[in-house]
Amino acid sequence: MSSAELTPEAARRPFSGRRVRFGDLVLQVVAGAAAAGATALVGLITWKVVEGARPALSEYGLAFVTRIAWNPVTDHELYGAGSFLIGTAITSLLALLLAAPLAIGIALYLTELAPRFLRGPVTALVETLAAVPSVVIGLWGILVLGPLLRDHVEPALHSALGFIPLFGAPSQSGSSIFTAIVVLAIMILPIVSSISRELFLGVPPELKEGALALGTTRWEMVRGVMFPYARGGVAAALILGLGRAIGEAIAVTQVIGGGVFIHWNLFSGGDTLASKIAASYQGATSKLQVGSLIYLALILLVFSLVMNFAAQRIVRRVGRSLGQGARA
Amino acid sequence: MGGVAAITARTVDFGASDAPLTPDQFSACNGCLQIPWALSATSIIYNLDGVKNLLKMDGATLAKIFLGEVTQWDDPAIAKLNKGVNLPSTKIAIVHRSDNSGTTYNFTDYLQSVSAEWKSKLGRGVAVNWPVGAGQRGSAGVAAGVSQTPGGIGYVDVAFALKNHLKFLAMKNRSGKYATPGLKGILAAASSDQKPEATTNELSIVNPPKKFPLAYPISTYTYVIVPTKSSKAAELRKFLFWAVTKGQTFGPRLLFQPIPKTVLVVAEKTISKIKS
Repeated sequence: MSSAELTPEAARRPFSGRRVRFGDLVLQVVAGAAAAGATALVGLITWKVVEGARPALSEYGLAFVTRIAWNPVTDHELYGAGSFLIGTAITSLLALLLAAPLAIGIALYLTELAPRFLRGPVTALVETLAAVPSVVIGLWGILVLGPLLRDHVEPALHSALGFIPLFGAPSQSGSSIFTAIVVLAIMILPIVSSISRELFLGVPPELKEGALALGTTRWEMVRGVMFPYARGGVAAALILGLGRAIGEAIAVTQVIGGGVFIHWNLFSGGDTLASKIAASYQGATSKLQVGSLIYLALILLVFSLVMNFAAQRIVRRVGRSLGQGARA
Repeated sequence: MGGVAAITARTVDFGASDAPLTPDQFSACNGCLQIPWALSATSIIYNLDGVKNLLKMDGATLAKIFLGEVTQWDDPAIAKLNKGVNLPSTKIAIVHRSDNSGTTYNFTDYLQSVSAEWKSKLGRGVAVNWPVGAGQRGSAGVAAGVSQTPGGIGYVDVAFALKNHLKFLAMKNRSGKYATPGLKGILAAASSDQKPEATTNELSIVNPPKKFPLAYPISTYTYVIVPTKSSKAAELRKFLFWAVTKGQTFGPRLLFQPIPKTVLVVAEKTISKIKS
């Protein structure tokens, strides 16, 4: 080894070969371009959406966001997002509430409880559910699920919990906010369960075995070791599911029944931001209506953004409290 | 209805629509011509076990049903029109289109012509602010909704109702006769308005006057929308000319009725305006 190679200058530039630097440059450019492209795309979409919503923005301003109205008839035209905003919030949150315990239950069953020969097939089937096109789930919702809920589930819920305004008179057609919630829950189930399953599989076996060796029951081990370990990740999976529920359009239009609603009854019709856009954009007859529909898209964009930020904060807080718990 | 958007964007050479273009659509389409080229009708389908096809109905009662004022199938207003029919007390479940549709335009155009209340509260359009009922996507969605719902009532274009063997109403027209959405009923309705509006070529044949005793009252013209200036003007003229003349003989087989002569003359005149 010659002393020249050990000069401080050379040590500071350990990878100074021409070829290596060129590769770095390519990586830098490609990765940077990809990131810039995605950012530019979001910017472009936002700009276009704001541009498209301008007729409605200048006509209605912010009053549009909370107004409960949607009348596209010439000379009676009046638009507002209030009902669809409530519809989106109710359907997505309740769908998540319905899907979360089921999905986590499925993940636990597949990692801890199921006999080994069942795990493969059941996992594959649950994941197949994610691949069913939403329009097919929607059709099934109209023909099978809707009538089933209408004839059996809705009357039962109404007679047991009818004093809560949410569980009012059962729907007659089977198309209702409730049907939409169940359809959405089915659609987000596979996402949440397959991510949770991966997370549960990632829990170090020595932790689980340690807990069991200390004499915990299996449930105590799940609650004390697996849940805290996977908490942050499961929360992130739930956010992904929520995003899917907020944005789903076609299947929801098929089963939600439509309508501008000012009632609390889950068993009657409604609309979400996404379903209203999907139902009404094609063949919209006036500039103001098109503008209002794009205004809905703008609200949906902001709504998803706010939900995402809120969710990320929750994940971070869950992660931090987990860290503190481990230290304590 | 995707046709209007497509021709507005000039991604196609011509578009078609059951509902006449609105002023906004006309101005957006930037020099488009609207040509009546076929006839169709909207049938009111229903799902009532044990009740035969062609239950009788009049416009006023139908409007009240869709306003949510008549809520049961054995309502006196319906029973009065159907003496001798054993009507069940099933609740009426309304199914309407949730997407924009020319069928909705035809149907609400009719309802507002028979009901002053409908006209002032709701009006007509490819979509309206329905006071009651559940929305479904497309004719198939409405048909599925009605067939899944005991007591259901909805509206689809006549070709769809016949092809799917759905039960539909016989509608009372202004002469007091009950008409069905068949060839005769639609043609009789078509002869009630043969003067297309000067600039838009619009025609309305819902609820025709008394002197057309065979007319089915929920009939409509359907239009083809073409640009005045087209790079394929010669071919377009040739095709459209064929469509309004010889092409009409294929209509009845697809349950679209041929247009009357006077309308044909206007159609041909409009077609000749297409220039390259």
